[in-house]
Amino acid sequence: MRLENFDEEISRVAPLLHREWESPDLWARIAAEAKQAPPAAKPWRWALAAAATVLLAVVLCQPLFQRAQSPALLTEEALREVQQAEAAYARSIEKLSAVAEPSLDRSPAPLAAAYREKLDLLDSAISDLKQTAETNRYNAYVETQLASLYREKQKTLQDWIENAKQN
Amino acid sequence: MLGATNRPFLSNDSGSTTVQSAEPMAGASQLALLSTVQPMEIRSKDQRLAELELIYRTQTPRLKSIAWHMLGNRQDAEDAVQETFVRAYRAAQDFQGKSGIGTWLCRILINVCHDLRRRRGREADPEEPALAKCAAPGREPSLKVALEAALRRIPPRHRMVFLMFEAEGMRHAEIAQALEIPEGTSKAWLFEAKKELKRMLSEAPR
Repeated sequence: MRLENFDEEISRVAPLLHREWESPDLWARIAAEAKQAPPAAKPWRWALAAAATVLLAVVLCQPLFQRAQSPALLTEEALREVQQAEAAYARSIEKLSAVAEPSLDRSPAPLAAAYREKLDLLDSAISDLKQTAETNRYNAYVETQLASLYREKQKTLQDWIENAKQN
Repeated sequence: MLGATNRPFLSNDSGSTTVQSAEPMAGASQLALLSTVQPMEIRSKDQRLAELELIYRTQTPRLKSIAWHMLGNRQDAEDAVQETFVRAYRAAQDFQGKSGIGTWLCRILINVCHDLRRRRGREADPEEPALAKCAAPGREPSLKVALEAALRRIPPRHRMVFLMFEAEGMRHAEIAQALEIPEGTSKAWLFEAKKELKRMLSEAPR
């Protein structure tokens, strides 16, 4: 076979390879199956988001009620202990972050995105509570809630590291 | 025979909506796509199905053809297209608009075809002679037949890029996204495909 201008001839003939035929019932089949198939749910993602939201709602709202009910104040000594505990959490979180963040930032998995969202939420709540605590260092409840947020962040980082090990 | 980039405009059943897409793979901007207008959960199933139907009407000719090239018969090709649209419907929230809707569907379709082939444990088994005749009323049947025969002898990845580019009118950027390969690789495979085809067709008696 002689093809003087191969590229031109091929480009002229190749579109003839496109296949086309009638499929009168294909859409009906797709629609029927799509109706039965709900959009894919991602329960773990919703669960993580819901857990983080509930936690934050509880943490952020309770001081408002608690302050009115029991204005518990820390003594100087108790405040020192709280600050030491906070510093211990901060060190622990820093170490865990150093281990978790490379894989967390790199991973394209939706689960990683959910963890990142949760950690962002926690960071934001910690930052808000810290500001509140600075203006009221002796409020026991604010300090307790701050500690629970640190615990939650620590646990989230540990969970992710555990998850990354298993995968 | 309609060229891949020259198909007629298509309208939905009611005739009220016309999707005018001379470039089917870039139809995303013209359609209220499944996940981009409103969050999935606040749109009704009927709305989403209506949108899916519009997309179906513009994208299906090309998808069926690609599936046919991969699977070798109409029934399997239709099954693959069906599975593609169902998967797309279920995963609509994952469509981020980074590629055209057609390219996204094409990528799903290619995965579906691979799955189907694995499940059925056989390679593409062309050809349906009756279909071949009605599908392509070519002016040069001998060259077309020779080209088809030569295509079956080149590596599948080269064949796929050749068919997507030359027969289906896709651009290298679209092919690269659909096959999840770099654009340069798509160009290189097309070059290889043409080189091999040229050699085979030059050797064959006309």
